[in-house]
Amino acid sequence: MAARELGPGQRRFSPASIGADLVLLAWFVFSLFPLVWMVLLALKTDAEQISTYFAFTPTLENFATVLSSEGERLTSVDFTDALLTSVINCVGAVIVSLVIGIPAAYAAGRWKYRGSNDVMFTILSFRFAPELMVIVPLFVIYNQIGLFDTNVGMIWVLQLVTMPLIVWILRSYFQDMPAELEQAALLDGYTRKRAFLMVALPLVRPGIAAAALLAFIFAWNNYVFPLILTGSQNTPVTVAVTRFLGGGGQAYYNLTAAAAIIAALPPLLVALSIQRYLVRGLSFGAVKS
Amino acid sequence: MGSLSVKGLVARYGKTVALHGIDLELPDGEFFVILGPSGAGKTTTLKSIAGLVDQVEGEVRIAGRDMTGVEPYDRGVAMAFESYALYPQKTVEENLASPLRSGRNGTWTPQQQAERIKQVTTTLGIDHLLKRFPRELSNGQRQRTALGRVLVRPAEVYLLDEPLSHLDAKLRAAMRAELKQLGELSGTTTLYVTHDYQEALALGDRIGVLREGRLVQVGTPAQVWNEPVDTFVARALGQPEMNLLDAEVSGGEARVGKAFTVGAPVADGRVQVGIRPRDLEIVDQAPSTERLVLHGKVVLAERLGRSVELSVDVAGVQIITVTSDHRVQEGGDVALAVDWDRVHVFSADGARLGAARRPEGVLTGGAR
Repeated sequence: MAARELGPGQRRFSPASIGADLVLLAWFVFSLFPLVWMVLLALKTDAEQISTYFAFTPTLENFATVLSSEGERLTSVDFTDALLTSVINCVGAVIVSLVIGIPAAYAAGRWKYRGSNDVMFTILSFRFAPELMVIVPLFVIYNQIGLFDTNVGMIWVLQLVTMPLIVWILRSYFQDMPAELEQAALLDGYTRKRAFLMVALPLVRPGIAAAALLAFIFAWNNYVFPLILTGSQNTPVTVAVTRFLGGGGQAYYNLTAAAAIIAALPPLLVALSIQRYLVRGLSFGAVKS
Repeated sequence: MGSLSVKGLVARYGKTVALHGIDLELPDGEFFVILGPSGAGKTTTLKSIAGLVDQVEGEVRIAGRDMTGVEPYDRGVAMAFESYALYPQKTVEENLASPLRSGRNGTWTPQQQAERIKQVTTTLGIDHLLKRFPRELSNGQRQRTALGRVLVRPAEVYLLDEPLSHLDAKLRAAMRAELKQLGELSGTTTLYVTHDYQEALALGDRIGVLREGRLVQVGTPAQVWNEPVDTFVARALGQPEMNLLDAEVSGGEARVGKAFTVGAPVADGRVQVGIRPRDLEIVDQAPSTERLVLHGKVVLAERLGRSVELSVDVAGVQIITVTSDHRVQEGGDVALAVDWDRVHVFSADGARLGAARRPEGVLTGGAR
């Protein structure tokens, strides 16, 4: 056998390594099974939806039903409208978070002042509290000020989800970037704002892409806030999916699965399209290491 | 270009004091070198003058203008960072164009920019790299690009932080010679920071030796070399370092172990006698009374190409010397001579007391 160098993560072949691989394989099957089950369910007819057989005649009927007026009749929500509402809410929430969060992350990453860590911790603590804990007062307030069942209201409340993520991720990017780059720009004759826009911002582009993607996914998958804070006008996709389980009427598990698969596509497409920005290392060569 | 005046500059990082009151006075066009080991506060001094350090006390004047509260971009200073600080997303050409495009360093048409950049990069030998990104350059090329970003623009003061430190030895010597010739540098007030004493001696109109946030000595290269104010300065300059030998003084004569005696400028107490390795010369002929002559045995001879570094045992005292005489052998006897005024006497705590003189009565040392 030809001599080969072992990579840092590589082990030599041994019985123990086979055992570890088997355990990992079992875990893989276990954790992936719900996804497989969902796909199978989505391809079954109404008659077969509660059977556990793997052998059946697959049909794409469910996907068509979900997007048709028949689906709207069952759930009283147009699923394509729900998709659109989700896109508006999540894109809006991420944009607002970026506009406010990037300068906040820059300030937090560059300057230490009295209480700077407390501010950062407070921002993170939005994520500690279970959403159910704040949902009742929010519901009351939203009803009173007319934000119930509006896109503006959803974008606002989703800040609790997206803002901490974006500020914390980008802060570490700004911290990693040498301050001397902006100092050089200052001495080249640029103001602090121009130094930020010209030097710092382009260098954290991969970070912005990664943070925005994560925030988008988290916002997209949020269920509790829209469940309570939206009615029939601006129902997002997470709530619309569960409507197929039928409140009191017949439960359509196959339609629910099909709707869930459709709902998972937009985040997947976004992730694939910005994949190349997710690679770090753009700042290589800026300073000596 | 303009003068630079610094008075009582104090910089703190938290509770640590980085600079304890630096005073500098640079007339228009002077090339001043700050020499010091790492951690002495060299970079902090430059950044304080550039206005990049917060909470700095003291007065900085550039071209007579008080810089208190003046933003870095309004100070008219250009700085080369030791870390280069090149913009990674810009090419070499765009990096050099950056100060010309900011609008604060004069108005340049695109054509004037291109001409100026061509001129500077040609001088620095990086004109073939204009389209490259910093990550595609070697460390030496990056350093020259950083230097180019300074030289390309007019400024009151240039601040250069170890601009040659990452070049290889040959390129460094060549660049050192070239720097001296650069019109930009000879015409503009320059504060240059280095830990390399050869750079300091070769380039500086004057040198300031920095130690733990204090300027211990300021003077021309000749002054700093010939009359180091203390043992720290004496050892900072010269390779190998100056021999520092403990001595006991009585009656105005300092006795170094059993090796030799010299006339000291003090009457009693403990002193250190300092002799630079290159001031010692191997002599064949009979001892002269005009010089201090030491007889000893060669313990170690390191042949370093052109020169040989010797470790000589003089009656139990180790003395380092450098010679170009390749006939010297380990174990052989040797006689070393040094001019009296080249023998320095320092007090026990390191301050220079003066040069040694010929002790009365005794004519030679190293009797064995």
